[in-house]
Amino acid sequence: MEIHPRPLLSVEGLTVEIAGANVVDGISFSVAPGKVMALVGESGCGKSLTCYAMLGLLPPAARRSGGHIRLDDRDLTALSQRDMRKTRGKDISIIFQEPSASLDPLTTVGAQIAAAYRTHHNVPRAEAHARARRMLADVGIPDPDRRFHQYPFELSGGMCQRIMISIALICSPRVLVADEPTTALDVTIQAQILDLMKKLVAERGTSIVIITHDMGVVADIADDVAVMYAGRIAEIAPVQTLFEKPQHPYTALLLASIPKLSDAPKADLATIEGRVPTPNEFGAGCRFADRCPLATEKCRAEQPPLFDRGGGHRSACWHIDRMAEIREVAA
Amino acid sequence: MIDNLQIVLELKDVAVHFGGRAGLLGSSGAVVKAVNGVDLEIRKAETVALVGESGCGKSTLSNTIVGLQAPVSGSVKIGGDEVVGADRRKLNDIRRKVQMIFQDPALSLNPRSTIGATIAEPLIVRGIARGKALKDRVAELLTQVGLRPEHADRYPHQFSGGQRQRVVIARALALEPDLLICDEPVSALDVSVRAQILNLLVALQQRMGVAYLFVSHDLSVVRHICDRVVVMYLGRFVEMADRDTFFANPKHPYTRALMSAVPEADPIAQRSKQRFILQGELPSPANIPSGCAFHTRCPLATEICSKVRPELTPRPDGASVACHHV
Repeated sequence: MEIHPRPLLSVEGLTVEIAGANVVDGISFSVAPGKVMALVGESGCGKSLTCYAMLGLLPPAARRSGGHIRLDDRDLTALSQRDMRKTRGKDISIIFQEPSASLDPLTTVGAQIAAAYRTHHNVPRAEAHARARRMLADVGIPDPDRRFHQYPFELSGGMCQRIMISIALICSPRVLVADEPTTALDVTIQAQILDLMKKLVAERGTSIVIITHDMGVVADIADDVAVMYAGRIAEIAPVQTLFEKPQHPYTALLLASIPKLSDAPKADLATIEGRVPTPNEFGAGCRFADRCPLATEKCRAEQPPLFDRGGGHRSACWHIDRMAEIREVAA
Repeated sequence: MIDNLQIVLELKDVAVHFGGRAGLLGSSGAVVKAVNGVDLEIRKAETVALVGESGCGKSTLSNTIVGLQAPVSGSVKIGGDEVVGADRRKLNDIRRKVQMIFQDPALSLNPRSTIGATIAEPLIVRGIARGKALKDRVAELLTQVGLRPEHADRYPHQFSGGQRQRVVIARALALEPDLLICDEPVSALDVSVRAQILNLLVALQQRMGVAYLFVSHDLSVVRHICDRVVVMYLGRFVEMADRDTFFANPKHPYTRALMSAVPEADPIAQRSKQRFILQGELPSPANIPSGCAFHTRCPLATEICSKVRPELTPRPDGASVACHHV
């Protein structure tokens, strides 16, 4: 068995509460140095809140009501606002879905990258600018000296995302959190950005936590995957294991609902009936029970723990001995 | 000729340009050639996918087909009737036969109208039904798209994204169109809901014989739902083929680049596939490169590509490709 190095980042029992409901409910995962962890799930599953909590950036309505986030030996949740500000951008950074909405329209992109560096390093402006120029070249922006002096509106969406990545990485953080970084981009540009992220992981040993709903992106970049449903982790596994042998009905149905090469054209795709419960509909049992073809009384009454399935694979289901039935439903 | 009756849409050498006239301050704007001479036929009950990146002219072409945008040249025929130059009344008549659905259903529905009123509106506007008949027709449409008749009294915010897209589809079908233009109809939806809407579109086509022009960048969805695929780059079609030929043997270097760029939901296949990553970005449609518009990003480009524009020419397996080097 592969020996996993000590995790760099670990999320332990994270719980986030909005108006009394646990919209993120005790989730745990860890990321080793230089590895990519993907958080996947449908809208409202809590994947974005999980990431914001990791950076201490929860919106005012949300509150972390439990759990810890450790980066190496430091507990980020124990830091003061001031210390968190020193950590954010330096040790852990984030990029968002819509790069043009995250950049300052009135400042040149070069100055924005340099500002990120000078926030954490007491260096002369010229040195920060030189670093920003090198960073632009590193993220594959052609003609960095000219681009340095341009404003976000002069750059395309793909270029702006490269600028965001430059800002996030200028201080060489050890963890990069990427919240749907390619969703707003065209596929050819998406491929470029994913390749850039892979290159950065390989060259700098940065760990990445990527949020996405696109199983294709997961298949491309992730080492490990956590599938989230209604604020909980339904299943967590190394990427290949997850795609080959999903051990949760939700994952299996989700994968079956994606059209595949082997499907007959226009054949019925597997669907998941019903909808994700809202936080005030959360019951005592498994939150997927109402939509699950395997659900029994036990599922509705009692929340399944994340059972260890071996090889780093865990899933929260009482009935994986009946997974064959899911494959029938999906076929 | 029976064959002609089966054709619901016929585009001949359609071109749509923007700008070019003197601007407000006397500056002369560049001409943006959004669509630059395209030909296309769609038959009854057929699904044609239109694939390309943002800025390639997909949306301009869709707008031109429904008569929202006038072409500078060419002909657009819907069910044999010419859209270009048609007067208001005629255009109104033609528009009944073609409807559109969009990417984000939340933005396509009036939040202050019940969905019953929304679906009834086209029927009222055209004086097709009223009173009890109208109510029955709305109920029927709701049932057809997998909703319940009693949903008619609810408002859009009471529905999920997938259900809202069903409402949009019901409204589009109210006038029994021959052609439905679907502009990225599932890309704003969650994966599990996406499958429901795709199943619905397939079922409706089999039942009603409606044709789809399916604008999408998701090739796995395209492969699933479409009979033919057209690839557009900077205002022109660069490849056109039936589905099996297209996916078995993509020919144009741009098509191959698109296919290698779309990540497959299979880690082994995805990581072992031959990558064909494009450098750079789509040039501005205001400044289209000479010769083959793709030559600035093409790994196969040679001298001729920057000088002579390749025509869309038929190949032995039935595909049409515009490339000097295929």
